[in-house]
Amino acid sequence: MPYHEFKCSTCIPERKNHAVIKGPGEDLTMALPAGYLSTIPGTISERGCAYCGAKHVIGSPMKDVIHLSHGPVGCTYDTWQTKRYISDNDNFQLKYTFASDMKEKHVVFGAEKLLKSNIIEAFKAFPNIKRMTIYQTCASALIGDDLNAIAQEVMDEMPEVDIFVCNSPGFAGPSQSGGHHKINIAWINQKVGTIEPKITGDYVINYVGEYNIQGDQEVMCDFFKRMGIQVLSTFTGNGSYDDLRAMHKAQLNVLECARSAEYICNELRVRYGIPRLDIDGFGFEPLANSLRKVGLFFGIEDRAEAIIAEETARWKPELDWYKERLKGKKVCLWPGGSKLWHWAHVIHDEMGLDVVSVYTKFGHQGDMEKGISRCEEGALAIDDPNELEGLEAMEMLKPDIILTGKRPGEVAKKIRVPYLNAHAYHNGPWKGWEGWVRFARDIYNAIYSPIHKLTLLDIAADEIATDTTFETQVMLSDAALSEETRNAADLRQFTGQFDGLKSLRGKTYPEFEAKTAGAA
Amino acid sequence: MDDLMKDRMDQLLDHIMKKCLWQFHSRSWDRKVQNEGVLSKATQLLCGEPVDTSTPLAKCHWVDALCLVNDYKRRFAWVSQLKPDEIKEIMQALHERLDHLTITGSLNLELNDQHY
Ligand code: SF4
Repeated sequence: MPYHEFKCSTCIPERKNHAVIKGPGEDLTMALPAGYLSTIPGTISERGCAYCGAKHVIGSPMKDVIHLSHGPVGCTYDTWQTKRYISDNDNFQLKYTFASDMKEKHVVFGAEKLLKSNIIEAFKAFPNIKRMTIYQTCASALIGDDLNAIAQEVMDEMPEVDIFVCNSPGFAGPSQSGGHHKINIAWINQKVGTIEPKITGDYVINYVGEYNIQGDQEVMCDFFKRMGIQVLSTFTGNGSYDDLRAMHKAQLNVLECARSAEYICNELRVRYGIPRLDIDGFGFEPLANSLRKVGLFFGIEDRAEAIIAEETARWKPELDWYKERLKGKKVCLWPGGSKLWHWAHVIHDEMGLDVVSVYTKFGHQGDMEKGISRCEEGALAIDDPNELEGLEAMEMLKPDIILTGKRPGEVAKKIRVPYLNAHAYHNGPWKGWEGWVRFARDIYNAIYSPIHKLTLLDIAADEIATDTTFETQVMLSDAALSEETRNAADLRQFTGQFDGLKSLRGKTYPEFEAKTAGAA
Repeated sequence: MDDLMKDRMDQLLDHIMKKCLWQFHSRSWDRKVQNEGVLSKATQLLCGEPVDTSTPLAKCHWVDALCLVNDYKRRFAWVSQLKPDEIKEIMQALHERLDHLTITGSLNLELNDQHY
């Protein structure tokens, strides 16, 4: 596998170690992009900081918590409402953001008093919320404010509240991934084991590394509940602070995003003996295998099989409608971390897309090992690319779509490449069988939107045809299809609900006979 | 190992590398435990031998092994035709190759980090 040098980065020779083309017959021991290294000076990275990784990705999805940043208001603003990790308590954690609003005078004289008054003020403003997380930022870390001491003082004065402190300032790692690491370890050190949960069933899991983007967690928990499994906690999407203090009482950690949350699973295994089962929640076959594995672990695989059969029968004709129309389309799979390997093989197998490039902003070499193994030969794998490299790659590979974040996504739009937001989604949730069809529909809508053809026209220079009428997506996508495929009676477009979550919230689940006397 | 067996071993390996996650834990000692745990149980399942599931970790390995074996049987008709000594030979070679790709030959610099 040859390392790939971008023309635009010849002046930054270290960048050559960060990109690799997967050649025929080559394997991971021949080349692997460098990863999880500080961004090379001179290359403009698209990464976030370690504070952002701790707060924005992992801390803030917790739903019943005041999330307070101790620092200048700018740090907070950038971690507010840019990701769609919704919750079933009216999105408290998305609606409100809290900052101590440090100014120059606090840098000179200290900001601990300010922090304490802010904590108390926030609890008073929201008397129903008794839990808080506090995040260190560069400014408060550099002046040496002792967040733990202030949090303890408040907890002593207000015994009804509980506060978690995360010391992960922006400079504490090469990227947001450093923050994921720090908050994982801080949570298990400070909070796990400080509460004893009510165990209500025979089968108890933690669902780890799942952030409820547009409802993913709720979709997955629906499957678990249909299997009679108690989801003790979710780390952390739609998760409750006190549930997460009780993680030590689960029988199994079901790990979705290993990039952001394997640390806590590894520690739970070492400290409490809870095994870790890595799963893929995306795609029909990987999801079916994941539920099957959880079912097998508890000896209830028949319950998993019933769900798999029902959901596959319901949604397969719709997925296949899109697959027929997406076959052979080229995609740059450029998410932040774990989705490069969650999706690399299955969008090829189940939607017919060809992955011509994978990249990761903050992934480690382990993520690249997984992503490169799963994508097809010829794909270009890039670690922490800069904007110019992204442009050069798109010019070279000519993708039909890119799946990425909004910064590179907007750049792609400028060169008329459609993009979908791989972090926050377009019309999610994308997990579950229905979710996977939603994703296929979003990809289809992006690729075949008539707007792309129109934007390529220059009305000042090009001849504009006046004898043709409008075009629709179906006209564009079906033009090259055979008559038989176009009219296949067993295929159909997405027929799910606009908001599938409504029916999940408040749903009642079957009662299974308890296996042990202790379980209710 | 003859060319046919080598070709078959490559097919089994390709399936693991594309579809599975258990071989990619983040540290070399965990990868060793995972590869050994899952592949030894998969070999036992293929040979019809009893499998130990007495600890939570052993059960996790068995779960991954069982799904792997079922996929193998579904995808590769020849798997069900193999005799036990052929299964052991191919699975042993597979184990060595997987250890090479994910541990001993891996270029992942984080594998030997002492902390999680
Ligand atoms: S790098 Fe520092 S100053 Fe910038 S957003 Fe992150 S914590 Fe704030």
